[in-house]
Order: sequence, then structure tokens, then C-alpha cells
Amino acid sequence: MSLIELKKVTKIYDDNAVPVRAVNEVDLKIEPGEFTAIVGPSGSGKTTLLNIVGGLDNPTSGTIIIDGTDISTFKTDQMISFRLHNIGFVFQAYNLIPVFTAKENVEFIMLLQGIPKEEREKKAIELLESVDLGDRINNKPTELSGGQQQRVAVARALASKPSFVLADEPTANLDSVTANNLLDIMEKLNKDHQMTFVFSTHDARVISRAHRVVTLRDGAIESDLPTEMQVWKKKK
Amino acid sequence: MLLALAWKNIWRNKKRSLIILVAITLGLWAGLFSVAVMIGSWDTTVNSTIDRNLSHIQIHTKEFKDESLISFFIPGGNTLADEISELKEVKDVSARVLIEGMASSPSSSRGVKIIGINPDREKNVTTIANYRVEGEYFKGIKRNPILVGKKLADKLGLKLHSKIVLSFQSVDTTLTYAAFRIVGIYKTESSPFDEAHIFVRKSDLYKTMNSQPIINEIAIRLNSSEDLDTTYAILKKNYSALFVESWKDLAPELEMTYEFLIVEMEIFLAIILAALLFGITNTMLMSVLDRVREFGVLIAVGMKRIRVFLLIMIETIILSLVGGIIGMALGTFTIWYFSDKGIDLSLFSEGLSAWGMPTILYPILPLYFYGVLTTMIIITGILAAIYPSIKTIKLRPADAIRTYG
Repeated sequence: MSLIELKKVTKIYDDNAVPVRAVNEVDLKIEPGEFTAIVGPSGSGKTTLLNIVGGLDNPTSGTIIIDGTDISTFKTDQMISFRLHNIGFVFQAYNLIPVFTAKENVEFIMLLQGIPKEEREKKAIELLESVDLGDRINNKPTELSGGQQQRVAVARALASKPSFVLADEPTANLDSVTANNLLDIMEKLNKDHQMTFVFSTHDARVISRAHRVVTLRDGAIESDLPTEMQVWKKKK
Repeated sequence: MLLALAWKNIWRNKKRSLIILVAITLGLWAGLFSVAVMIGSWDTTVNSTIDRNLSHIQIHTKEFKDESLISFFIPGGNTLADEISELKEVKDVSARVLIEGMASSPSSSRGVKIIGINPDREKNVTTIANYRVEGEYFKGIKRNPILVGKKLADKLGLKLHSKIVLSFQSVDTTLTYAAFRIVGIYKTESSPFDEAHIFVRKSDLYKTMNSQPIINEIAIRLNSSEDLDTTYAILKKNYSALFVESWKDLAPELEMTYEFLIVEMEIFLAIILAALLFGITNTMLMSVLDRVREFGVLIAVGMKRIRVFLLIMIETIILSLVGGIIGMALGTFTIWYFSDKGIDLSLFSEGLSAWGMPTILYPILPLYFYGVLTTMIIITGILAAIYPSIKTIKLRPADAIRTYG
């Protein structure tokens, strides 16, 4: 059984005079432990597809099955609860809670899950140490660099013990050294803990580190290949 | 942690939060103080009216109430007055003779109410003796001393120790003239009262009229105004043949003023609270719009909408409560300070005097009012939070996360 399975998923935005087909009949399966990048030019539907997989947006048609559960029919609160327990998110702009420290940001997800204080504090520190931020647990986001903030975001994404992590352009705001450090950490988590990562990106650094690359064009899958078979990489 | 998050969120934009806190504080402070001044002014007016001449309860014959003639005296009035003064709730009584008459000086004359009193007993019932501005309180002149109001003295061109002639209909309906000498001049907060009331010894009146010691009015002073309703009920029951009235019946305009005051207060507070409502709503709306992306993330990572709703509610209630508590403390202190020192309005004494109002106001606020206002502020806070909260929980996380700002 696949971890994520999309069947004929279509998303049409009809807010404007001309409806836009952002995702067009996408069939996709992602297995546990994958390190997959969804790539494509701007407007190809990467973020929309990721939002649909993460239950942040509803498809116009099609089915989304996560770990055997069809989430396409979930009501709002059911979906929020599902996200809390099954999906970790890393956003392009880090999106940490600015008034919380790094530890509190990570703890917050566990608080929502109802985990007791002592346990969640211990786990938050462990997670921050796993992303090399053991010495910055009491710093607020404004006291951290972009790379450090994104690592806190990764720790936060993992705090809920999710089935997989969705990362929308995680390195877009980072310089190459910081981006590589972040990717090292995510790759290590993937390798050591079999954590599934799905990225949307057009950053070559991320694509080169992915184990599988799904290319979108005009909302449809153009290619779906293991990284080593990517044309652009061969050219390099 | 929701509470901690709410508290931290409030202080992330200190300037904005402080502005709304100051607005709530000042609004509440002004509201409390104004209401206390209103109630205090009413209370001072009532007390001074009771103290000046009204007392708590008065008894007359029913006929006297219809037509104020001396011949409508209370049968066995003095015995009755002694009987009433024995009641434990009663401080003292003043058995008075009341006559409508004319007061004349060599230059002018005026219609007046002549009040025949026992000066010593009167002192226990009213404070007219304390309003003396010239002369003595029935001391120094043995024959026919009279206490007149400053306004009347001015109108008649009289001074201390001047002679004044009173003319009135006596018990046997004959017209009586008697000369009195001004022993003292009083000045109360009410110039109309000063112009129309003169005090003489009732024994002098009896001598002048060659009459028995009759009385037309029993003025009763209670030990505590809290005993008013029960004592009034007892007297009304025991002396059903007579006309028993409390100060509320005797001065219905005061009771009416109080009812008007309450409505005025409610409107005033409603305006303050409405202003706060819009102020808080506006602040919270700005605060929420500044954090659209953050709320999108919170919902995305699994924070239920009800918790987001509660978060904004808690933020608003904290803001309202903090402002409310500071405003309440400030208001309480100001009221406490002025309730002791009083607010001197002597600058407007002439105008106030025409309305019988004292020139020093002592603001007071009943204790229950603080509770009512606290509840009203919390309710205002909750109402103010509803719109921003609803707006937030309607956010679609996918759109909200992409919002910048």
C-alpha cells in the first residue's frame, strides 16, 4: 500500500473569468521512505499539488488516499485533525510563531496533540538537537538565521511524528551553504528514520539531492523518474 | 500555552496594544468618575434636602395637605410626637407649627412660610442651625426672635437685629400681626428655600395667637436612612387617620431625578462602551490582518478553528481586562480621593443654589456598580472579538500561508 496515492486529481480555479486548470488529472503514488521532489516551472501546479496532498486545499475532482485513508471527503475539522497527526509541513518562509522560542515552536504541535508538558519538552529538545540547534532552543525566530529558522521548521514538522513531511520550496530563501546543510539534515532523517519527504522546488540543489523527481507542466505530470535518470543531471 | 500565546501576541505590537489599553483605561475611568459624580450630586442634594428641613418622614392631617391652614392641626399632636420619638429607629422629632403669611419690612413685603419650632428639638432633626451665616441660633434676643434666610433679608432690605412684621391668619381665623427681631440669618444651598422660609419659636406663636400648643407637622429624623421603609410602613399603619409621607413623597422631583439619572447613566455608559467596542474591534482586526499568514500556518499544522477562535477571544478579553482593571483602579482612587475632599463647585454657586444643589460634591459609587462595569467590559471585549475571530477562522490555510505582511 502506497503512503500517498492520488487518483485523477484535478484542481480548477474558477474565481476569474477564465477558469485555470492548476492540476490536471494527476495520478501519483509515493511510497514510505521516499525523498521525492516535485519540480516544474512557475505556475506548473507544484504548490497546488502539494497543498492538495497536505489537505490544505480541496481538489475539484479525484481522490487522495493517505496511508489507506481517503481524505478527499474529509470535513474541515476532520482534515485539521488528520493533518495534525499525519503530516508535517515545512514552508518556504519558515513561518515560525514569532513570539515563541525555538523550543516552544516545536512544542506547540505536541501541545495541540495533547502530549504532557514534560514529554513534549524532552522531545522538543531532542528534535532541535537532531537539527543541530541544541544550543539555540531558547532563541526566538528573530534571533536565528534563515537556515536556523528553517531547521526549527523541520524539527516542528517532525514533532507530531507524521507519516510524511511536505516541504514547499524549503530552500528558496537560503544561500547554497545553508541550503546544503538543511538538505543534509533532511536526508539524514530520511535515511536514519525512514521519514518520507516530498518537496516542491525548482532549486537545482534540492533536485540533485532528491531520490525521485516528478516534473509537472501545466498541471500535469510530464515525467516521473529516479534522480539519476534526469536529463538535466546527465547534461551536468 | 494558548493563554501564554495570547499574552505574547498582545505585546508583539506594544504601541498598538498600549493605545487601546489607554483608551479602555481612560474610557472606564471617565465613565466611573462621571457616574460617581452624578450619583454623588444626587445623593448630596437628597441629603441636604433631608437635612435642611424635610427630615425623613413627615406627618400632617389630610386636610392640611389639601389646604395649608393652621386650623388643620394634628389632634393631640404633641403627645403623638412624644410617642413617635420613643421608637428605636427614630433619632428625634420636631413638632412644628406651619403658617402661610406675609413678612414685611419698612420697604417691602413677601409671602413666606412661617415655621414654628422648638429650637432645641429642631437641631436634632434638621441642620438649619448650621446654615447660620450671621447672628445666633435663637440666642441673645428674648422676645420674638426670628431666623430668616439671607435671600429674604436681602429682598426685604433687612439686617441682623432688624425688626420684621409677620401677618397671618391665626387658629380662630383672625388676622394677626406680630413684630419679630432677626436673631440670625441663614443661607442654605437653595436660594428659593432661603427666600420663602422663616423660623420662629412656636411658643412665641402660641402667645401671639393666644392659642393652645397645637402643631401641624411632625418631622421625623431617623437614626439611619436604611430604616426608612420599615419605619414609614409602621407609622402609616399606626396613624392611618393621618397623612404619613416619606421624603420620596414629599420631594417627588428628587425621586424622579434619580430615575432620570439612572437612564442618563445608562446612555452615558452605553456610549462609552460602544466607543470601546469599535476601538477594540478595530485594533483586533488590524492585529488579525497582520497575522493572516501566521493563522494560516497554525490551521495548517493542526490547530483547530475553535482554538484559533479562542486565541483571539482570549487576546481581546485580556486586553479589555487589563485596561478595565487599570481604569477601575484609577477610577476607584479618584472617587475615593474626591469622596473625602469633595469637588468644589463654588464657582457656579449661584446657578447651583437656584436648583437647591450644594456647591461641594462628594462622588460616590455603589459597590455593585464595579461588578456591573467589569461584567460589561468583559461582554464588550467578547463582542468586539467576535468579528475578527470569525474572519480568522474563515481563512483558507493554503491562501493565508501565501499572504505576505
